[in-house]
Amino acid sequence: MLTWLDQRTGVVTATKDFLTEDVPGGASYWYAFGSATVFAMIIQIVTGMFLTLYYSPSASTAWASTYYIYSKVPFGKFIISTHYWGASAMIAFMALHLLQVLIWGAYKKPRELQWIVGVVLFLLTIVLGLTGYLLPWDQNAFLASQVAIQIAGSVPIVGNATVAFLQDGATLGTLTINRFFGIHVWLVPAVLIGLVGAHLAIFRWNGAAGPPVDEAPKLKAGRFWPDQMFMDIVVSFAMFVVIVVLAIVAPPILDGRADPNNNAFIAYPAWYFLALFDLLSIVGTFPDAIVPTLDLVATVIFPGLLVGVLVLLPFLDRNPSRRISRRPWILGVTALTMAGAIGLSLHGQVGIQVAQAAIKYQAPNDAELEKLNESYNSAPASTGSAAVVGAVAALPGMKEGAAVYTANCSGCHAATGLGQTGVFPPLAKNDYVTGDTKALIHTLNYGLQGPIKVNGAAYNGQMPAWKGQLKDEEIAQVLTYIRNSWGNKGSAITAKDVAAVAK
Amino acid sequence: MGHAVSYEDDGTPQEQSRRKFMVNMVVGLSGVIGLVLGIPLVATMIPDSKTGGATWSPLSDDEMKKLQAATEKPIKVTFNVHTVDGYLTPADDEQFVWAIKTTDAKMRAARPELFDGKTKLTYPVINMGFVLFSPICPHLGCRYVLDTDGKFLCHCHGSRYDDLGVHIAGPAQRGLDPLPLREHDGKGEVTWIHYKGNEPDHVILSYT
Repeated sequence: MLTWLDQRTGVVTATKDFLTEDVPGGASYWYAFGSATVFAMIIQIVTGMFLTLYYSPSASTAWASTYYIYSKVPFGKFIISTHYWGASAMIAFMALHLLQVLIWGAYKKPRELQWIVGVVLFLLTIVLGLTGYLLPWDQNAFLASQVAIQIAGSVPIVGNATVAFLQDGATLGTLTINRFFGIHVWLVPAVLIGLVGAHLAIFRWNGAAGPPVDEAPKLKAGRFWPDQMFMDIVVSFAMFVVIVVLAIVAPPILDGRADPNNNAFIAYPAWYFLALFDLLSIVGTFPDAIVPTLDLVATVIFPGLLVGVLVLLPFLDRNPSRRISRRPWILGVTALTMAGAIGLSLHGQVGIQVAQAAIKYQAPNDAELEKLNESYNSAPASTGSAAVVGAVAALPGMKEGAAVYTANCSGCHAATGLGQTGVFPPLAKNDYVTGDTKALIHTLNYGLQGPIKVNGAAYNGQMPAWKGQLKDEEIAQVLTYIRNSWGNKGSAITAKDVAAVAK
Repeated sequence: MGHAVSYEDDGTPQEQSRRKFMVNMVVGLSGVIGLVLGIPLVATMIPDSKTGGATWSPLSDDEMKKLQAATEKPIKVTFNVHTVDGYLTPADDEQFVWAIKTTDAKMRAARPELFDGKTKLTYPVINMGFVLFSPICPHLGCRYVLDTDGKFLCHCHGSRYDDLGVHIAGPAQRGLDPLPLREHDGKGEVTWIHYKGNEPDHVILSYT
């Protein structure tokens, strides 16, 4: 059968040729990072293809379809979690591969182009991570991507054009999701696969570099098949086990749907952007006069310089030796950069956790996500401003109340009235809002603090006192608005009612 | 590409045995990876088998009046069916049925298969003095029209039915499908059922 196939296609001979390869100095686990990266890429392509069977890229369907994958599709949560952790694995193993090649000096002549293609592959993978981050269209995806787009916009000369290309409009919305989806699913993977092919072809042309010695041709050759292949699959399998275990025990968080008015959410980047994220927050602590300059350094100049040095490394490093002991400079700078990146990342992660703890942030659990999904189905997607619709618009003060709400309340309670799980209570379908008017007016006039329970969930925040900040009439208008929005039904409240409630 | 020299010598028996183990491990571990990924991936494509239960959709006051004024000539009655389409916000979709004023005796005479035997329906065919026909052709699912001769004609493949839904010509394997109708609080209510086409039996596909 195989002979028949080979006579007509040559596939068996081609496979044998591919597997028959010398490994200078013998097989080694050090060489398995590259193949593990390719394996992670295959996991990403396969799981990604299946996710596209359900995912729908638009502002009104992205979150809903992601939630649908999480909650309704058989094994959907497992597949999306595998895709999430597979992305981390691909970036982590690619970084390890890059680092190993750098430390072993394998980028030197004649492998300069192999190195450059590898660095471009790494950058493209980062772009995949960045564009994929937006697609679930939850609050964190929205804010983190907004920051990323703004950073791209601060690049001199091409910044505005880059933002226009990425965002495709004045704000992040359906067209942005479509664009990111196209880049994430078609454009970058197509280029990536082509470049992986080029990377492997150049690798086979030059042969493996072998260990970091200057007399590689004198080393005894080992076999690629099955010796190196075995080590490759052992490392890939170990990586696969870690991805699967993490996908089961630590699926990615899905926050509430993106709400442009929610300004209380603490956004956090993917782990591979933590160092840059932290650098940016450190810059913010410097005197105001130099912050804009430092900002540009942290977001554009420093990362740009790093990429430039990485790409041009084979030409910048003129030292002909590959021996580790003879390359103190390049390895010293690499060690310092890595230590800095790890230190900044850890500092950044601690900062995020402290900030989240301060507002008692808790990611929504499955039951809360289901409630959120139900409430989204009964409330239209936020367009960035509170809207008054239907017969209730006829109630006195509704339109004005909507404006007061957008300006003062939506930051915490959200334009959808859904608040933020565990932090700011929802006003939608909240009996307290539609119930006793005196208690409600008292809360708005004089604030509220201490533990409360709303729709079964505990809250312990602080509602500010608005008397003095807002006129009685404005308080009445906003109360009428919240009592008659998002499915709530209650009587209108007048300025006289507000004035009558004393402390 | 240089010539591979490491394959020129088969190596010691220990080396050969070690390589055999490596080959088996490569195949075995690849198989485990394939199964752990393959089974969930295929499972994600299994469609949701839950079709949702049967629900009653009320006719509006205008449609109810139209129904009550109907004669033996078929009329179109529209109503809203509450549908859940995947992850989209559940919505009311407009549907229509054909209503014909008739009697139980006439229907039994014209369509005995709906009352007895394997193709018997589990709900009353005549309600409030009417039979309601699903607008979906029982051949391959097109929407048929009321022809100028008062008979129903499906333009897709030429199936024809008389005013009581009897299959009189064309490739369909059964007559038109009656749908449940009931009177509830003075209003007419319809249950929308999507039957499988191109077979003699009534096989429910969904209620939306």
